[in-house]
Parts: sequence; structure tokens; C-alpha cells
Amino acid sequence: MMSPFLFWIFAILMLVFGAAVIINRNPVASALSLVVSFFGLAALFLSLDAYFIGVIQVLVYAGAIMVLFLFIIMLLDLRAEELRKINWIASAGGIAVALALMFQIFSVVEKFPAAKQSFPPLAKPAPDDVRQIGLLLFNNYTLPFQIIGIVILVATVGVIILSRRETR
Amino acid sequence: MSVRPGPQPLNLFVSYLDLLKLASPEAIIVLIALAVLTIGLTGDRSRTFPGIVAVVGIVIAIWTTMRLPQHANLFGGMLVISPLNSLFKIVCLALALATVPLAVSEKSMRNPGEYLAMLLLGTVGLLLLVGSEELLMIFIGLEVLGLSLYVMAAFDKTDARSAEAGLKYFLFGSTASAFTLFGISLVYGISGTTALNVIGLKLAMGSIPPLFAVGIVMTLIGFAFKIAAAPFHLWAPDVYQGAPIPSAAFIASGSKVAAFVVLGKIVLVGFAPAHGNAAWHSMLPGWSPILAALAALSILLGNFVALAQTNVRRLLAYSAVAHAGYTLLGLVAGGREGFSATLFYTTIYALTLIGAFAVVGIVKRETGGDDFQNFAGLASRSPFSAACMSVFMLSLAGLPPLAGFFGKFYLFSAAFRAGGNHGLLWLVVVALFGSFVSLYYYLNVLKAIFVDKNASETRHSSPGTHRFVANATIAVLAASVVLLGVLPDALAEAIAKSVP
Repeated sequence: MMSPFLFWIFAILMLVFGAAVIINRNPVASALSLVVSFFGLAALFLSLDAYFIGVIQVLVYAGAIMVLFLFIIMLLDLRAEELRKINWIASAGGIAVALALMFQIFSVVEKFPAAKQSFPPLAKPAPDDVRQIGLLLFNNYTLPFQIIGIVILVATVGVIILSRRETR
Repeated sequence: MSVRPGPQPLNLFVSYLDLLKLASPEAIIVLIALAVLTIGLTGDRSRTFPGIVAVVGIVIAIWTTMRLPQHANLFGGMLVISPLNSLFKIVCLALALATVPLAVSEKSMRNPGEYLAMLLLGTVGLLLLVGSEELLMIFIGLEVLGLSLYVMAAFDKTDARSAEAGLKYFLFGSTASAFTLFGISLVYGISGTTALNVIGLKLAMGSIPPLFAVGIVMTLIGFAFKIAAAPFHLWAPDVYQGAPIPSAAFIASGSKVAAFVVLGKIVLVGFAPAHGNAAWHSMLPGWSPILAALAALSILLGNFVALAQTNVRRLLAYSAVAHAGYTLLGLVAGGREGFSATLFYTTIYALTLIGAFAVVGIVKRETGGDDFQNFAGLASRSPFSAACMSVFMLSLAGLPPLAGFFGKFYLFSAAFRAGGNHGLLWLVVVALFGSFVSLYYYLNVLKAIFVDKNASETRHSSPGTHRFVANATIAVLAASVVLLGVLPDALAEAIAKSVP
């Protein structure tokens, strides 16, 4: 368990850079903000003793996926995004809907007795959580694990179909 | 109620051979999809060969589904084999089977191998959805299905409207699945399990926590999107109009049937204790008043907006919104009778709609459009298509002796009897009113076909074999709509017997 002080630092880091992803007009700066946000999320996972997910978060998301993102952004040379005007009315509407939803969820959660209790201490982490996850994946969750493979196949084939140039 | 989630590696191990045996329909369809994809790679542009392979594969899958054991339950509900699930796996496979000829007879279709592969992978999503009683697998099934449908909607790259349809479907669909996932995570967080029957048992033990209510509402949003119930229908008109015709037919039929089967299981098994009451004088919070409100709104909005349409595909889209409303009536009524009525109606509706889209496809190939004016004079050009289209339209309108009449009859009588003291009468009245309104625009289509003068000259006629394939499909679908109208018990009894 990390101290609440560190929790707040990482949570705020995550939220600020998460907002920066949307607010930044420069796509490269957006992508880099997303990397920082992912690091904050990884730190939060570590603080919950979920070491495996924390490490994967850094390796896969912050590492591999974001590097691909940056490559693509640089290849595409997105100038138009910087010049695009912000539609203030639409964004105000979007923010209003998001706030209304947040308010609703908070007011419901308020009525939930468990929300007012302090967070119970987690069980002692298993010393080898990678092993535990592996056992779960290949026992209880074999079927979804394999079907995720089909999801990835659909996505791969679909991306190739949609991105190929076709002449009339 | 607050159970700390933490699945332990249980001794649930099933041998992979057993798993393969029980999941054989899914496995066969995946293999056939890969085979069709490979055939497409060879550069052979013929549409017939991949189509034949797909048809043979689906028929084999139907045969293996029939030979599955009566009951099996793997991994706590992830793959459940029961008479109901097997029956609807067969229905979904049959709907895919009826969609393949549409794709084959589509003349503008390029890369048919890839298209059929996406169709088959989408069918795998349908099978997984229908065969699962566990939220994690249901979500993965939704994703397999959704991803394939987005690609199928945007498949025609020579048409800007197809791209628009794909993009709209993708944006709405991914937002809706985000909501569903959030809802599922809340349900999991509170009940500590993702198996529907265990969730139902846990809920029945105590009062329903408010956070669970948030979870229910969010989960329902995703399904309301899939079945195109108002106000989550905004994607439907553009997708039905813009997507390639086989894609639109598949989105309107297979995806809807699977969504109704799963939605029924989720609300009637998983969320059963949070039923609430939708009766007029004794409304109680729960999922049934939410579904009742969605149903009433869909029926009114769908039918009235459909009145103003001049494009047959947009008309079918708004009528689909209205039909989603009718079909929800059965779930609101609940119980065995209501669920059977919903399942019967959604099956009939899917068959009818594939047929209607097939006729639209023929008209579009011959006249280059699908507005009312393109349908003018269809009766003299092609009496056969005209006759079949009138069967489909009258069945959608719910006129006896066609299948749509009995579907509506079962639904309305289930809703009328449910809820104690005819509490759901208000919903039945709304639905009957909607049905009368709908008669106008369905007959308008028939007026264009039979009465209006032929304004546009026939431009091209399809090549012989493809025309024959399309006509044969339409004939089979029209015959089944008529037969199920004359002998509704053939299907209704099979469904009623299999509903637990």
C-alpha cells in the first residue's frame, strides 16, 4: 500500500495529462501526454500490488503501442488538426452531458453504504502473481483467452480491408 | 453483498478435446472463414467459389450443432449447451446462410473472399453470444460481432455513403460497448461474479444496491444500441441505407436475433430480482420499466418517422426501430411466455427482413437506386420479386395469414396477460396503435410497386446465375414466411419447449 500522498500525485498526473491528450492541438504532444498518463496508471496499479498489470501497462501500452502511434502520426504528417477550429458550442454540449452523467453516478454512489467505508486492506499479494494469472488464463479463462485471438484476427483482416486503396 | 472479487484457479479443467467437441460449430465456422480468406488471396475474382465453400461450411456447422449433447456447461456458463442455445445457434447459422447468396449476387462486390470471411467471423460472434451465459464471454462475443459488422458496413469503398455508414456504426457502436463494459464491471464489482445465474442468486439474497442499478442501466444501453431501440437508433437509418445490401441485411437480422437472445437471458436470469414493475398503476423501479419506456418510444418514433421516408431502405430502418419496440414487449412481460414470444418474433422478423433486403438488392441492381420511384413498375418488370416483396411487407405490417401476424399476436397477448390486472395494457395499446400507423407506409411501398407508372427505364439486367441465386433465396424466404404464418406452431412450439 503506498501512502495517500503518492496516490494523489499519480492520480493528478494521470488526469492532467489525460486532459492534455484532448486539449493539445499538436498530435505528437497528445501522444506523448498519453504516455505520461499511462505511466501514472501503471504506478497506481503497482500501488494496488498488481505488479504484473503495472509492468504490462508500461511495456505494452507506454512502450510498444505508443511508439507505433508516434510512428503513424509522424508518417501521416497531420497539419490539418492544428488548424482546425474548435466548435465551442458542440464542446460545451459535450462537457455538459459528461458532467450530468458524472453527477448522476456520484449521486447514486453516495447512497451506496459501501462507498463511505474506508477501503479494506488487500489480501496479502501472492508472491508469484504472474503464475496465478497464468493459471487463471489457462484454466478458468481458456475459452475467452482463445477467442480474443479471433477478435485480433477480425481486427487485423478488417484494418487491411479498409485501408487498402482501390481503383474504380 | 460486498464480495471482494478474486477468482481462484479452480479445478475446472476440461480436456481440450472435449472443449473442441462442444465448441465445434464455432471452430468449423472459423476454419471456413480462414479457407474463404485464402481462396480470396489466390486472386480469383469469381464470386461463386468462395460462396459455395461458405455455404457448405455453414451447412456442416448446422449439422454439428444438431449433434451436440443436450446439456453441457463449461467454465461456469462461458459455453452453455442447452436446447434453447442450440436452436438459436441454428437460427443464426441459417440467417448467415441466407445472407451468403445476397453477397454472391451483389455485382459490385469486390473481393468477395474477404467479405464472406468477415461475414463468417461475424457469425462466430453470433454463436458465441447465443451460446454464453456469462458476462465476460458475452462482451467478447459482442466485440467479435461488432468489429466484423463495422468492416462489413464500410466494405464498398467506391461509395461514400458506405464509408459514412461504417464510420457512424463504428462511433455509435464503440461508445455503446464502452457503456456496456462499464456496466458489466459494476455488476461484477458488486456481485463478485460474471456468471448470470450466480448474479441472479446473489441479487435475490438482499436488497439491490444503487450502484447495481447504474450497472443495469449501462449494460442495457449497449443492447439498446444493438437492437436499434430509440433513442439509441440514430445509426440505423444511415447504416441501413448506406451499407452494402448484404451487410445491412445481416446487421438487421443476425445481429438483432443474437442481441435479443442475450438481452433476454441477461434480464430474465441475471437481473431477474431487479425486475421492477412496468404496470401503469404500480410502477416500480427496475429494468422492466426502462425496457417498457424504450419500447413505447421506439414504437411511436419509428412508426411516425417512417411515414415521411421516400427511400425504401431508410423506411426499413425506421420500421426496424418500431419492431425493436414490439419485440421488447415480450421481455417486459417476462416469464416463459414473454421470452418465447420475443424469440419467435425476432426470428420471423429477421427472415422477413433478409428477404426484403434481397428484393431491394435486385431493384438496386436493375435501376441503380432504392427510392420509391425505383420500385415503380416492379410488378410489370418482375412479377415474381413484386409478389415476394408484398409477402414481406404485409408480414411486417402484421396481416394474417402471414408469419408477422402470429408473431405480433403472441407478443401482444403475452404482454396483455402479464403484470397482473392487465397492467401492461398501456403498452399493448401503444403497440396496436403503432401497428395501424405502420400499415400506411408498408402499403405505400406496395402502391409504388403495383400502381405507380414505370418512370425509370431498366438499365442493366443481372447475369443469369446470380439472378437465379438471388431469386431462389427470396423464394425460400417468402415461402418460409408464408409457411410460418400458416403453421406458426412449427417454430413456436420448438421455441416454447426449449425455453427453460
